[in-house]
Amino acid sequence: MDDPILGGLAWRGSEQREYPPKTSLMNDSRPASSIDPTLPLRAKGGDRQAFAQLVDVMYARSLRFALHMVGNREDAEEAVQDTFIRVHRNLERFRDDARFEPWLFRILANRCRTVLEKRKRHSVVIQYGDVPDRIGAVEETERDWTEEVYKVLDTLPAEQREAFLLRHVEDMAYEDIAAITGVGMSALRMRVKRACDALRARLTEVMRDE
Amino acid sequence: MSEFERDPIIDKVRDTLRSAPHVAPDQRAVARVLSSVWESPPPSGWRRFFNTWRVPALSGLGAGALAVGALLIGFVTRGAVPSKQQPEPLAASGAPTGEYPVQTVAFDAALVQTQFVFEHGEAESISLVGDFNEWKGEAMPLTRMPNGLWTTTVPLPPGRHVYSYLIDGTLLVADPRAPKSGDADYGNEGSVVMVFAR
Repeated sequence: MDDPILGGLAWRGSEQREYPPKTSLMNDSRPASSIDPTLPLRAKGGDRQAFAQLVDVMYARSLRFALHMVGNREDAEEAVQDTFIRVHRNLERFRDDARFEPWLFRILANRCRTVLEKRKRHSVVIQYGDVPDRIGAVEETERDWTEEVYKVLDTLPAEQREAFLLRHVEDMAYEDIAAITGVGMSALRMRVKRACDALRARLTEVMRDE
Repeated sequence: MSEFERDPIIDKVRDTLRSAPHVAPDQRAVARVLSSVWESPPPSGWRRFFNTWRVPALSGLGAGALAVGALLIGFVTRGAVPSKQQPEPLAASGAPTGEYPVQTVAFDAALVQTQFVFEHGEAESISLVGDFNEWKGEAMPLTRMPNGLWTTTVPLPPGRHVYSYLIDGTLLVADPRAPKSGDADYGNEGSVVMVFAR
């Protein structure tokens, strides 16, 4: 079934580009480690250097999540930039005893949802060449697998994709995901399970062929 | 992670999604974000108020009275407050109007905030000069970021613009990352930026 947002064009005729070499982050299978808990408090107190460090630490991870959610780099970068602007503007509201990452991801997830909603409203047709720029420099078989993963990911309903990414890719606890999305934990578990079922059903054969 | 979630396929999907998009730390992107953050307007007084204000618990009657009051205020002020802020006209903004002032002054499109990022480790000062400021060096200084990048964001009208960077007030350098202009504007070889209306 074609994705209602990407119109099924996302992976057809995609231009294979020369990608930058792998980096330590690309080889690291775990999410970026937690940030220094004093950074948000220092940033809240007006320390620009601390805020710059927050952006530096969280930028790559935020962009990865946004890329998976919205599917193209331009929108993802805009969502991330907008997120950090909002974070900076609302630092006064950040509670001293709160954790920064769920708060950041709550704003980021909202921005991504807004992008997806806007795209629906304006019925944007993704053109060839605008396909998600998400695949790194990988072997041919690995590229096939990666493309299949993205195909399935893009066909998931946005709320399932969001829950799956936060749980399995960002490694967040359900309590945090509930705070980020405003959805109850049992509903979240169901979303994650359905996403897992869909991925499993579509990818089992691909994995067997490898 | 609970047992039902452990699955070799899901594990592999997770590893793929954690590593496949190329999102390596990018100093230039971080500088862009920081520049946007510093240059975005600070929260207004009202926003500050709402940021710090906590909603008190209201009884049903109190909430109803508040709603009625809000409705009354809405009716009274309706029409008295402009619904949308009009974009600042080019002439009023102080931006250069270029070679055809009539055309640009009458042009109703909003200016587009356009960011310039330039890398230079040794300069004392860098300014953005171009056809949009008549190549005047003092008009648009760049800000040095902690990582050695220089950046500024300026409002430009949509269209094609030729620009360069003025290093320490003496040396004109074209942007190495931008296409070079075929024509010489004011006798200076420059780079080209295309600004698109949003």
